[in-house]
Amino acid sequence: MKLEIDGKIVEIEAGNTLLDAAKSIGIDIPTLCYHPALEPFGACRLCSVEIEKRGRTKVVTACNYPVEDGLVVRTKTQNIIDIRKMLLELLLARCPEEGRIQSLASEYGVTKPRFQIEDEHCILCGLCTRVCEELVGVSAINVISRGVEREVGAPYKELSDDCIGCGSCALVCPTDAIRLEKNIYPTTAEDIQEIEAKFLEGDRDEDLGVYSDLIAGKTSTGGQDGGMVTALLISGMKSNLFDAALVVRRVDGYNAEAVVVEDEQGILSARGTKYLRVPMMSKLEAALKAGKRRIAIVGTPCEVRAVRKLQQQWDLEREYPGVELTVLGLFCLESFDYEGLKADTKSRFGVELDKADKTQISRGKYIVTADGTDHSCDVRDMEAIVREGCPYCDDFVSQLADISIGSVGSPDDCSTVIVRSKVGKNLLDAAEFVSAEVDKKQIVKLAKLKKRNADRKLATILAGVQ
Amino acid sequence: MAEIDMRKVDEIIGRYKGEEGVLIQLLLDLQSEFNWISPEAIARISEQMRIPKSQIYRIATFYKAMSLKPVGRHIIQVCLGTACQVRGAPKILDRVEENLKIKEGATTSDMRFTLKRVNCLGCCAMGPVIVVDGTYHGKITPSMVEDILEQYE
Repeated sequence: MKLEIDGKIVEIEAGNTLLDAAKSIGIDIPTLCYHPALEPFGACRLCSVEIEKRGRTKVVTACNYPVEDGLVVRTKTQNIIDIRKMLLELLLARCPEEGRIQSLASEYGVTKPRFQIEDEHCILCGLCTRVCEELVGVSAINVISRGVEREVGAPYKELSDDCIGCGSCALVCPTDAIRLEKNIYPTTAEDIQEIEAKFLEGDRDEDLGVYSDLIAGKTSTGGQDGGMVTALLISGMKSNLFDAALVVRRVDGYNAEAVVVEDEQGILSARGTKYLRVPMMSKLEAALKAGKRRIAIVGTPCEVRAVRKLQQQWDLEREYPGVELTVLGLFCLESFDYEGLKADTKSRFGVELDKADKTQISRGKYIVTADGTDHSCDVRDMEAIVREGCPYCDDFVSQLADISIGSVGSPDDCSTVIVRSKVGKNLLDAAEFVSAEVDKKQIVKLAKLKKRNADRKLATILAGVQ
Repeated sequence: MAEIDMRKVDEIIGRYKGEEGVLIQLLLDLQSEFNWISPEAIARISEQMRIPKSQIYRIATFYKAMSLKPVGRHIIQVCLGTACQVRGAPKILDRVEENLKIKEGATTSDMRFTLKRVNCLGCCAMGPVIVVDGTYHGKITPSMVEDILEQYE
């Protein structure tokens, strides 16, 4: 395709957009809602340009207009400049505090909008909702309503059960809007620093996060591996460190749900690892609303992040006076989708997952025990059924928990335990267990792997951020 | 609270399962069955159709034809289009609001009525007009409001 932009001839393959063509010859067109890794959206209209086709001119958005042979494009006519000025004047009136809008506006000579000044931060460019949908894949947030009421948020503006706290939305947000959202948990590097300073105690390890103790333990509770989670919960409750625990329990077969339990019986009913992602945050909110205050939460790294973000950003104490959360984090490389895992297990081994005695992921193998027989395969072969979003998470060991527990790094019938705070320390001190040797190298290896994979994903996003 | 029969929800989902691009139609079917779309129904669609909740919520909040709040047994639409307006529709709306002790857009606490204001129902010759459950009551005066509402239990 051969076309003319601002008097320069450019040749570019079909399928590219006017914005791509302009960029290829160094012509700068301002954008706010554009990101190279996402489908163009045409929401901000800032990339408006004039095109001439068969003697007629019209204004189009460069980000989603495909190149055509013989097209004449003008990006800096007075008409176009006036359009951008008007857009920036409106945006500046809507978001007077936003640096990015301020600098674009002043570039176009807009300083004082004629319109009523509002106190908004979000420009509804849709970058956050699109990155969450198109790349991360969880679609925790979306636009809500329409017209002047249009806004970005989680369904019902309640705490999101789908957000994994990966922070991709905060990375792409051209303003501060996403950081101010209260119902999702984008965890940025600054958030992590703040959370560590506020809640954790110990030395910071590059791969395992802040911790004071790293041990392996074995109990007689009959949970997964050494049963340490179950033991910590039982002894913690007995020692009055918390009154209730939010745990994940099986319902109809293998499927699972988060429930609040308040006694040993309840804790025991939640033994064993579920390699599924289940809604947690709405259950936590419900428990707080129901008057529970001293709650232990067992969660995967994404859920731990969500709980910490909640503690950091919401004034939980004011809303729920006396709130005390004990956060037990699990090691997690990825989780699966119930329907997917069920179908996969059936087709792979001919085993009904709902009737399996035990599932385990150990040393890169997925092992299902049914009718006394072990069936196993490489976890790597199960990529297709990994939950959306997991590849964007860089935390293997629940770095923000009070205490982290997992199987990697300790002998087969033991659990690895990482103590990260005073709360975690008290919890471990209350428990009875037999210690064993820990192999830190094994944990570090997987932590590095997870981080490296996620960094690669996030790099795609970062590369396109302006 | 308007009860939602989840079996009925499943049946409606079943009509569309496995198909793509059917969300709006599915939501409209739910809306016409229950008069509103409950959080439980959204969760069930998400699970069964494998569509993220936020995407369903987005559609349901976009279209005025879908309601995310339970509505009353009877839906009153008071027309405030231009023709009805000049013939005194605001007074009709005032009277309905006064009578039901709710504002436009709300539902009475006994779930008997939901009151909506609409802009032109296309039958200006009948104005001022109110529609209850699809039945048109035309050329009405404020004093007729009470009698009309009494017809609906």
